[in-house]
Amino acid sequence: MANTGNVTVVAEQLQGDLQAVTFELIGAARMLAKKLGVGVSAYLIGSNIEPIAEKLIHGGADDVYMVNDTQLEEYTTLPYRRAILAILKHIGEPPPIILMGATTIGRDLAPRVAAYLETGLTADCTELDIGDYQHKGKADPLKVGTFNNILYAIRPSFGESLKARILGPWKKPQMATARIGVMEAVPTDSSRKGEIIKVPVSFEEHDFRTKVIETVRDVSKAVNLTEAKVIVSGGFGLGVMEGFETAVKELASVFPDSVIGSSRKAVDAGWIPQAHQVGQTGKTVRPNLYIALGISGAIQHRVGMSNSKTIIAVNKDPDAPIFGFAHYGIVGDLYEVVPLLKKAFLEKFKTKGAGV
Amino acid sequence: MVFIKQVPDTKSKAGVNPDGTIDRARAKRMLNPFDRFALQKAIELKKENGAEVTCVTMGPPKAQEILIDAFDYGADYGILLTDKRLAASDTLATAYALSALAKYVGGVDIMITGLQTTDGDTAQVGPQIAERHNVPQITYCESMKVDNGKVIARRVVEGGHQKLESTLPVLITMANSAAPLAPKRFAEVAAVKEFLHHPEEREKRVKSVNLDDIGADASKAGLVGSPTVVGKTWKLGELGGSCVMYQGRSALDEVNELAEQLQKDDRGIGELING
Repeated sequence: MANTGNVTVVAEQLQGDLQAVTFELIGAARMLAKKLGVGVSAYLIGSNIEPIAEKLIHGGADDVYMVNDTQLEEYTTLPYRRAILAILKHIGEPPPIILMGATTIGRDLAPRVAAYLETGLTADCTELDIGDYQHKGKADPLKVGTFNNILYAIRPSFGESLKARILGPWKKPQMATARIGVMEAVPTDSSRKGEIIKVPVSFEEHDFRTKVIETVRDVSKAVNLTEAKVIVSGGFGLGVMEGFETAVKELASVFPDSVIGSSRKAVDAGWIPQAHQVGQTGKTVRPNLYIALGISGAIQHRVGMSNSKTIIAVNKDPDAPIFGFAHYGIVGDLYEVVPLLKKAFLEKFKTKGAGV
Repeated sequence: MVFIKQVPDTKSKAGVNPDGTIDRARAKRMLNPFDRFALQKAIELKKENGAEVTCVTMGPPKAQEILIDAFDYGADYGILLTDKRLAASDTLATAYALSALAKYVGGVDIMITGLQTTDGDTAQVGPQIAERHNVPQITYCESMKVDNGKVIARRVVEGGHQKLESTLPVLITMANSAAPLAPKRFAEVAAVKEFLHHPEEREKRVKSVNLDDIGADASKAGLVGSPTVVGKTWKLGELGGSCVMYQGRSALDEVNELAEQLQKDDRGIGELING
């Protein structure tokens, strides 16, 4: 008998490459599963994916349910939806929790599945936990009750500067998508063993009403904000578009593993593509070092980067909110500060290579 | 059919408490910025394909404002779904009510939503409406056209984009990298809105309906129809709160002190520089 009560992660793979978010979700699922005293399952959907199923076990899953079909080579909503429903039907009883990445795939697929199952789904979570809940339900008396060991899906409510805990104890599965780069993966262990269960799927003709004509992914142009160790970000305080060249990139050049970030205002001004945006409608990041140049630190930005290990802010306004949560702040003209900072970094810390 | 929403205007200072939280009763309200891309696409389809554009929204009576505004841009009809029983709807309950409204109107070929709202931020309602209608969806759509009874669309994916083809009917959610809403042409606005002064004509073009009018099941809407609940909220207060500040001296002194402090605090800057 398959274990029906596992915390479940829907894996994300592109052309046979498992995405980092999948291992982050498995890491979160392990933590939740430990609290529930259950295991972790992964659902793997695609074409020619047999070789990668084991990697999910190595990454922390106890078993993998796999739908492997040539018609699933490229992601489209309805066939992938059908595959998930096939796995759920195969298992029988719905799992307690299903997690997906808050990616262009997860945010497309998860709401579809949740609506079909008529169950709750919390978007873009930044924390997940297990706990109890008592619903008093003055306005919805049918839902009154005390619920133990349910999913706490925690997400920022940007517009209102709040963090909210969302609960859906009435129905299984409890579903959530989690932001990329927020949850922590567990170390890979290639000696881990687990069962890989192949699940057949029968599609219906109308599952193929959408066709992919072509996909263009330019990996060299992809901005990998979520994996960089250092992010140097520019905001509206740069004053001009050229600031990204003369200040942001200039400072970033000191760090070999660095990426350029930005605030929404700089994107809106057309100074830099949206792919660089950190925050509410951009990426959530937590690099070792985040340097904010001319960024005021509005809540929408803060929720995307406040978990960075070290935050250094340069801003000419001493009252800028960013100084409320940065670790180090310089009040001043960033165009004066940046060249000095670059020089100081290289002089104080550079040990390898020829120096400046 | 374009699904739009009135949200608190976070740029306006009205109704924003000193701690950054929002007093919803006092806050100014505006069209969800993401919906501007959806409305623009609908207006383009009207021009290119002769489509009729119906904007729908769900909210208090005041939310009719955004429907009226949409006429300025070229919308043909506006329908407000308003009902006290809709209060505290989560995404599933919202999608149920809006899909019931779309079924009530009928004959919709293309449903368009913004990617997400600025107050809910979930991006879930569009796909959940599509599920209720059993139609395909294209989310994160940057551009699209209708050709030969099919939709050809460009969709954003991580690190690139995708060209997709879909049958009709379809639900589209527009990404914020799509074409922005073209400004109102004021010369036309007055003429377009002339109907507002003729009660009979107005009634045909702007409607307000409740759950019973559209034959929706009230137990699937609002608080009772929502499988999720907000259990607890915290204010995002000061984080860390112990920023070491350098100010009031020469930039050179400040930078050098910062660098020394980073060394003292063992922040690992050296490893990041030396790779």
